[in-house]
Amino acid sequence: MSTPAAEIQQVQTIRLSDVCKSYGDYAVLKNIEAEVARGEVVVICGPSGSGKSTLIRTINRLEEINSGSITLDGQNIHAAMRTRELNLLRSRIGFVFQNFNLFPHLSVVENVSMSPIRVKGVAADVAHDKALKLLDRVGLADKARAYPGQLSGGQQQRVAIARALAMEPPVMLFDEPTSALDPEMVGEVLAVMKSLASEGMTMICVTHEMGFARDVADRIWFIDAGQILETAPPEEFFKSPRHPRAQRFLADLRH
Amino acid sequence: MIHDIIAIIQDYWLLLLIGQYPNGPLGGLANTLILSALSIALAFPVSIMLALARLSKWRLLRWPVTALVYITRGVPLLMLILWSYFLVPLWTGADVPSFVTMLTTLVVYQGAFLSEVVRAGIVALGSGQMDAARALGHSSLGAMRFIILPQALYNMIPSIISTFVSTIKDTTLGYVINVPDLTFAASQVNNQLLTQPFQVFFILAVVYYAICWSLTHVANIVERRITRRRAGLSGGAAPVELVPAKIISEQL
Ligand SMILES: Nc1ncnc2c1ncn2[C@@H]1O[C@H](COP(=O)(O)OP(=O)(O)OP(=O)(O)O)[C@@H](O)[C@H]1O
Ligand SMILES: [Mg+2]
Repeated sequence: MSTPAAEIQQVQTIRLSDVCKSYGDYAVLKNIEAEVARGEVVVICGPSGSGKSTLIRTINRLEEINSGSITLDGQNIHAAMRTRELNLLRSRIGFVFQNFNLFPHLSVVENVSMSPIRVKGVAADVAHDKALKLLDRVGLADKARAYPGQLSGGQQQRVAIARALAMEPPVMLFDEPTSALDPEMVGEVLAVMKSLASEGMTMICVTHEMGFARDVADRIWFIDAGQILETAPPEEFFKSPRHPRAQRFLADLRH
Repeated sequence: MIHDIIAIIQDYWLLLLIGQYPNGPLGGLANTLILSALSIALAFPVSIMLALARLSKWRLLRWPVTALVYITRGVPLLMLILWSYFLVPLWTGADVPSFVTMLTTLVVYQGAFLSEVVRAGIVALGSGQMDAARALGHSSLGAMRFIILPQALYNMIPSIISTFVSTIKDTTLGYVINVPDLTFAASQVNNQLLTQPFQVFFILAVVYYAICWSLTHVANIVERRITRRRAGLSGGAAPVELVPAKIISEQL
């Protein structure tokens, strides 16, 4: 018997059980079993087309699944529920996209403050102040009044991270956040992600940045053809991958 | 020639401006402007609702609206006007004023055309914006209202304005069901003068051109202002090149 406190500790996780998804006949995710503990940083890697984006998008139900379940703090994300409830649940899972997807018709500070105002009903001035603090945190306080079109890719992605953080999500998902960036801008985005990780944010990141994975990840999930073939701490994964396909993947990366 | 035109305007300006009013119904240019303004003001929200219905995930909403839009777009406007003019009183027994018949028909017809423009604008945005909105917890209606439509409508300003211009020009068809508008007044003038059709209808053409041109001009100014604001006015000169809005004023 565990104490109530320990029980809460235990349920503060993301759990994927027997998750299957297919597009028509084509199975993209096959019987995915995985768990993320609170405060853990997981890096998902694998070859192109292996289902990384699909997997991470199912976690906030941007994609539906065919069977299985995904829970956040014990709550099934893919259960039948009212759309209001789903929207609330989604707002607790931050998502950062490869292509930033900032709202180009809104200024930077509006991008960050609009969702707390519209979704959570936060007062406009409170949301505005909070947005400025978050922008300061990602190093963009001076760009608050700019529009996304005036920013570099790295700056846009940092705004996108601030926008997600504005909803105060306990979990953040990243889908190749640096893949669309020029090489010289990758570092500034990774630095923000590193500082988030060090503050104890629960994070799942799809990324090809193996340096980041080595430094920041608690565990690596290696995924190929819709299956998680290996999960291991980074030292282990990079030094002695067990699965032959993981070995080949790493060899190709070093190439 | 110029003298004739000036003489016509001097003799008939009041008829051309307000029709038989106050001895009869309001007509002339005033009525044309009212009919145009009401048609546009009603067709625009109708078109947004039609577009949203066509993009809806509910078939019961999507299919009938899609059918309505297809049929409306595939039938000449004149046909629709005559149908509503003759059939609606027959079916309902109500005596519908021709102005109302014309307004309703124009709203449905232009609403259908405009809904295709709006829908194209929404689809052209791609799924990324909707994904981002949903990931932040916005409802689909909230996302539409605050994120998707402001962008889609802005991107479609040129096409939307060209539909507005068509709407204004299409009010002239009210003539066939005796809507007392500017065209109607002009033909009354022509019937009285008998010998100067070119001069009379030249005046008519100039007035319609002026109305449509003003609308296009105002729309261009509005569009440029939004573009400049988004490009960041702080730098003084707009850094982004301003693409002049091309207005194609034929029917789609
Ligand atoms: N909407 C869709 N319809 C059909 N097939 C799809 C769809 N979306 C993705 N797929 C397929 O599912 C597979 C997994 O796609 P996914 O985007 O998850 O891969 P990924 O691992 O993220 O690849 P990448 O590294 O290129 O981003 C791919 O083979 C892709 O072609
Ligand atoms: Mg991907």
